[in-house]
Parts: sequence; C-alpha cells; structure tokens
Amino acid sequence: MKRLLIATTALTLTMGTAASAQDKTLTISVYSFAQDEFKELVYDPFQEQCGCKLVVETGNSVERLAKIEANAASPVIDMAVISTADALSATRKGLLQPIDTAKLSSYDKLYEIAKDPIGDHMAVGYTFYATSIVYRSDKIDGIESWSDLLSPELAGNVALPDVTTNQGPPVLYMLGKAIGDTDPSLTAPIELVSEHADDIVTFYVRSSQLAQLMQQEEIWAAPIGRFAWGQFKDNGFPMAWATPKEGQTGGMNVMVMTKDNGNEDLALEFMDFWLSTPIQTALAEALVDSPANSEVTVSDEIADNLTYGPETANNLDLIPADVMLDQRENWLDQWNNKVMQ
Amino acid sequence: MFENRTIGLALTVPAALFAAALFILPVGILLSEAFKGDNGFSLMAYVDFFSSPRNQTVFFRTLKLAGLVAVVSAVVGYAAAFCIVSLPAKSRGRMFGLVTLPLMISPVARTYAWLVILGRTGFVNSMLVNMGITDTPFRILFTETAVFIGLLQLFMPLMIISLVSAMENMPRDAIPAARILGANWFQVFTKVILPLTREGLVVGGTLVFTGSMTAYITPAILGGSKVLMLETLLYQRVTVANDFVAASVIAMILIVMAFSANVLLKQIATARRTRV
Amino acid sequence: MNRVATWAILGLTLTFLIGPFLIIVIAGLSAGDSLAFPPQGISLKWYIKVFTVESFQASFAMSMFLAIFGTLAALLLGIPAAYGMARYRVPGAEFVRLIVSSPIIVPGIIVGLALLRYLVIPTGVSIALALFLAHTALILPYAVRVVSGSLDNLRVDMEEAALLLGCSRMGAFWRVVLPNIRGGVLAAFILGFVTSFNQVPVSLFLSGPGVRTLPIDMIAYMEINYDPSVAALSALLAVMSVGIVFAAEKFLGFSRYV
Repeated sequence: MKRLLIATTALTLTMGTAASAQDKTLTISVYSFAQDEFKELVYDPFQEQCGCKLVVETGNSVERLAKIEANAASPVIDMAVISTADALSATRKGLLQPIDTAKLSSYDKLYEIAKDPIGDHMAVGYTFYATSIVYRSDKIDGIESWSDLLSPELAGNVALPDVTTNQGPPVLYMLGKAIGDTDPSLTAPIELVSEHADDIVTFYVRSSQLAQLMQQEEIWAAPIGRFAWGQFKDNGFPMAWATPKEGQTGGMNVMVMTKDNGNEDLALEFMDFWLSTPIQTALAEALVDSPANSEVTVSDEIADNLTYGPETANNLDLIPADVMLDQRENWLDQWNNKVMQ
Repeated sequence: MFENRTIGLALTVPAALFAAALFILPVGILLSEAFKGDNGFSLMAYVDFFSSPRNQTVFFRTLKLAGLVAVVSAVVGYAAAFCIVSLPAKSRGRMFGLVTLPLMISPVARTYAWLVILGRTGFVNSMLVNMGITDTPFRILFTETAVFIGLLQLFMPLMIISLVSAMENMPRDAIPAARILGANWFQVFTKVILPLTREGLVVGGTLVFTGSMTAYITPAILGGSKVLMLETLLYQRVTVANDFVAASVIAMILIVMAFSANVLLKQIATARRTRV
Repeated sequence: MNRVATWAILGLTLTFLIGPFLIIVIAGLSAGDSLAFPPQGISLKWYIKVFTVESFQASFAMSMFLAIFGTLAALLLGIPAAYGMARYRVPGAEFVRLIVSSPIIVPGIIVGLALLRYLVIPTGVSIALALFLAHTALILPYAVRVVSGSLDNLRVDMEEAALLLGCSRMGAFWRVVLPNIRGGVLAAFILGFVTSFNQVPVSLFLSGPGVRTLPIDMIAYMEINYDPSVAALSALLAVMSVGIVFAAEKFLGFSRYV
C-alpha cells in the first residue's frame, strides 16, 4: 500500500510534464515478442553500459507506426524496429531521418542485404527471417506445399495471417506461387483464400497469439516468421517447421531513427550495441533473432533453428519493400471485399 | 429551492465546462471529420463506408448480435426477475446481490473465462466428448456464437436488475387477481406483467443493446478479425490504416444507434400503453 | 409458479452468470503451465507470480491512481453541480444536466480516440493526464446522478432551518447537507472507482510508453502468454471489486443509493 501511495504521488508530480528533464532516457518501439529475452540480453546490459533509462513500447508494427505518425511533431519514440515496408512508408511520410552509419562501429560487419535495405541509409537491417508453416506433427503427417494450408485435412484447423500484417502478403504470394500465379496484385491467391474462408479458424494479427491457439488445439498449422519459432518449440507439444517445395518466404526487420527526436546520439549508441557481435550472438543463441551481423558464429544445432548465413538469406523469396507498399491498398481492398465479407 | 442564480451557476458551470471542453468538444470534432468534403459539407464518407461489402457485413452483424442479445436477455430476464421477486424478502436481497455481482468483475476477466470454457479443449467440448455426444470437438471460438454468449453474460445482469426493479413496483395483487379472473400464464404475462414492467424493459433493453453494440473486449477476444463488430472495426481501421474518417463514421453510427434504440423502445412502450 | 421451477430457473441463470467466474478462479489455481479447466493439479504458484510481473505492478498503480483520483475529481465537480441543480434555479438546468451526463451515451473508445487526436497530439499533454481527464469525464455522470438522488431525499427545510439559525450558506452545506448525503457520496465514489478500474475502451488508444491501465496490460499479456497468471489476476481483481462493494453494502447499504 505504501508503495502504491508513492507510485501514485510520483505520477501526480510528473503528470503534465511529458518531457521532464530526466537525465538520459531512450524510448524505443519494438515488436512485442520475446520481451523477457530482450530485457535480459539487450535492454538491461545496455542500461548498465550507458547509465540511462530505456523505455520500451511494444505492439504490432502498424499500431506502433500509427503512434509515431501521430506524435511526429514532438516524437515520443526515439528509435523503432519495424519491417522494411513500414520503414519505407515512414520514410515517404517524412517521419524518419537517415542513420549516421559512420557512427555505428558494427556497420561493416553486417551482411550486404542488411546494410541499406531501403536506400538513403534510412534503415539498417538487424535481423532477417524465413517465413514458413509451423504445424503440430502429432496431428498432421507433414506439409509439402503452401497449398496444403487450404487442403481438406487442415480445413477448420488452420490460421492465416491477416493481410494487414507483415506475414500476410508474403504468405499470399507463396500461395499464389503454389497455384502458379505470382502476379503482385495477389488477386488469384486472395480469391483462393476467400473460397476457403470458412475453413480458416481466424486471420491472426499478432503471431504471439498463435502459440496459445496451438496449445488449445484451435489450430494445427499456421504460417509464421522464424522469429516466432521459439514460442512453439517448447510449448510441450510436438511441433515441426515445414519446408514447402515452393520455398520459404520471409522478411527483414530494420532499425529506424525518428526525425528530430533530439536523442540521436543515445539512439545510435543503442543501435550499435544491438548490432554488435556479442549481442547478436546472444540473441541468436537464445533463438530470438537471426543475426544480421556476419561475424556471428553459432553451433550447427542453433543454426538449424535460425535463418542463418548468407546463403539462406539470399535464397529467401521476399516481396520488395516498394511492391509491398504500393500494392498494400489494393491487397487490402480485395481482401476486405472478398475474404472479410 | 433558493433563488440566487449566481450561486447556482457558480456551482454547476465548472462541471458543465469540464464535460463540454474535454468531452463534447473533442468528440464533436471527431464526428465532424466525416462530413468534410472538398467543397465543405459532404456525405461522401458515409456513402463510401456503406458501399463496402465488408462494412455492410460488420454493420448488420453488429445490429443482429446486439438485437439478439437484447431479446434473449429479455426472455431469460423476465423468467429470472419473476422468480427473484417471488422469493421471500431476505433471499430476494441475496439473489439480487448475486445477479449484480458479475457487473463488478472486470470484463477482461469475464471474457477471458469464455476462452477456457469454449475452446476446442475447453470445458464445454471436453464434457460433450466425455459424454459421447460428439467425437470431434465443436469450433466455437472466433464465431458469432462465441461473441453472442460472451455478450449475453456480460449484459444480462443489467436487464434482470431493470426488470426486478420494475416488478417490485407492480401492485402486489395484480397477478393473483388476474389468475382468479381465469387468465392463463400467457395472458397474465401479456396483459398484466408486460404492461406494468414496460419501463423496466425499455431501460434494460437500451442498456443491453447499446452495451452489446459498443463492447470492445468480447468481440476482440472471442471473435477476432473474422467476426468484426463496429467497435473492433473502428479500432482496426485506426490502428491498421490510420483511417480516422472511417472511425468518425463508425462513431456516428454507434451514437445514432444508441439514441434511436432508446427512442424506439420508449415509443413502443408509450404507444402500447395508450392502447391498453 | 412452484418452488422447484423457481430455483431451477435461478440456478441456471446464476450458473451462466457466475459460473465462468468460478472457473477462472479455479483455472488460476492450476499447477500446470497452460490455461485449462479442469486444472492440471493444484498450486498457488500463479497467484504468487502475478505479484512479481513488473508491468502488472506499474499498470496496477496506474489504474489505482486513475480510479481514486479520477473519482475524487469527478465528485469535486459533480457534488456542487448536483447541489446547484437541486437547490438553485439555474438557467438552463436541463441543458447542464444533458452536458454533464453526455459521457454516458458515447462509447468509450470514441472518447479515447478523440482525446488522443485533439488533446494529446496538438497540445502535447501527457498520456497519463489525458487518461485522468477521460476517466474523470466518464465518472462525472455517475457522480452527479447518485448525489442528485441523495439530495432529492434530503428535505430543503433542514437547510432553511440552519440558515434561519444563523448559519452561513457554506456553513449549512458543510454542517447539514454534506453529513446527510455522506452515504450517497461514498456510494458514488465506489461506483466511480469500480467503473474506472474496469474501464477498457477509453484507455485503448490512450496508452503510451510505460503508461498503461491494468486491463489493457492484461490483454497485452494474455496475447503473448497463455499461462494461468491472467486467470489468477482476474480472480484477485474480482475478489477486490466484490469485496469493496460487499463491504460498502454491509456498512452503508450501498444499493439504496445506486
């Protein structure tokens, strides 16, 4: 009770003074997954190193992006990690500033594809991931193709990503590939999904929700990014990662710097810390994020669970950020009018 | 009653100003956004909104579910309220307390409970499987049924409370008198109870209908993106597409529907009364 | 109707209304790692874990703060307004009543969104302050209504007598009116507290780095974790709310005022 009183008094005192002169505070906006691991491996060690306070905002990328846009005039968030498409969109809206890569000591160690993924040094990749299908191997024999997601065996037992998520369009693209239509309009795969809409349990918005659905046996299979694999591996059920014959899709997540945040130096220090070999190795070993830093080496067993090495990275079938961005409205329209009806 | 207007104003103005500045003004601006066109006033945003098949589906689903919850609440509510009123005073108080109890519990907790109960490995399905009624568990979560059940449990207490209050104000001997005069239970209900408890039905109906229409957690958790209702659609439009115009349209629809539900129910109540 | 039918109907209704809550309490007692009913073994570990989750501590403090101070602020505005409308001829009293009670008609999600867009963003006030103002506005109608109800039951001649006996207006209010509507004020406080504490939609858009109300935090937590701790927390909160209301009923006959 005493603590509560102190807390509430403290709140009263600080209310109204949004940007109080607290020494050094860095506010970051990140995906909501694996926060326990990030706290242990990244946030806490960094706070110790810089003697500053780290405020972490989590949520899905669109939500977080909307908030960055809403607060553009006086940025609350200093740095954010988002998808390449979101980074490009934020760049076009003038919400970001270029990253001074000269101040990132780990920059030269990054894989080429991570160095300047959307141009003009507006973003730096810190991890990339494969997207494939995860399934309960005690319920299903195996998954050979992306089109198995809509097979009769999986009817009523599968969740797909909503088209508005980062996984949505790549998954639709692979579904299109499975039926031989890879047009960027995604018309054919969206049509296909709409025909099977009743067989799909839900269109998920956050991958964090899926582990729960798998445990509850609401679903047996769902496409996910490799970064979420850790949640499934240890949930006490036999889970498997499919390698469909059409290949795997995926994406890259990048770090961005909000415009005029006035906290650039600290943000750069944090980015550099996150990209450094020891931190990237620790995150890889905890199966949190696949490394974008090429100096990271991990055991074969760990590598097996990651999207690891230049070869893997180069073979991912990714949708380019500008296609993602320019087609988004079109995809959303088709989706709303066919699937969500 | 005191005459001094200055004191009266001094007492009431702060509250009115507060509500006007922090509530009516921002909500008013939000609502006005959807009426802005290229040349001033425009209804295009509404036309656009209702021309999308998805939005139509969501609109009618919201109406349907809220209406259904209100109707079922009323049916169950009448039975329950009638039973509560017929109890001796002491147990009546206790029973009333038990019915009010869920209202004090966080809607998050109450909705969460349904996840455990309605899931494919949940309570209902394991009972059905154990009793041999079905082999394959039913899919209840993420369907309109799940949202309906969640909303019903959330809002039924409001209906029961309104009806109990109305029935307590009914003349004590109205029902026995009707029975003696040879009315069967159906007649007793339609000719005696219903007319005398109309006020309660209107209040309860409005509360349940508008409550169901504007609930967020229940459709969000039990329905998900496949069973969007207006409130979850509003949230999605803002967070996913930063679409404030759609948000403004939905806000207006919700407010108008809440008002019309109340007016309509009142109309029904008074219209019938004049006939009786 | 006979007794058996009466109790059967009541039993079924109560099972539907209260059963889920009991299931949550029991599911929280599980010794297993995932949410299930019946639970896998019995333990108190999830009830204990709730207290160790840092974000829950912070958001609990936030929700407590909002519920206590938001309700106090609403009463500070609402009691004079209710008193003014009950005792003075206020020009446009009906209009004032309409304005003050308007927050009850508009869905909370819209209030939250409107405040985010037209208060927080343009003026740069903190999310915490916006939350506080929004909660105050939401509780205001309840405060005015409940206090008005108490004032209607208080005879005006008591005050007139006090005035005749030489009391000032202020003095009459403090010595005569306030002690007599004490019960109503407390009832309004409890109703406001519970409403604010359980409020979700208004806080949906009003959350910022490190600033979240408890219900919003619970939703975020359960999206990521499927362990029984949210069940345990829900049960604890429910017991808290019910306990407060029960105590209020026992000591002041809460339901007379609401």
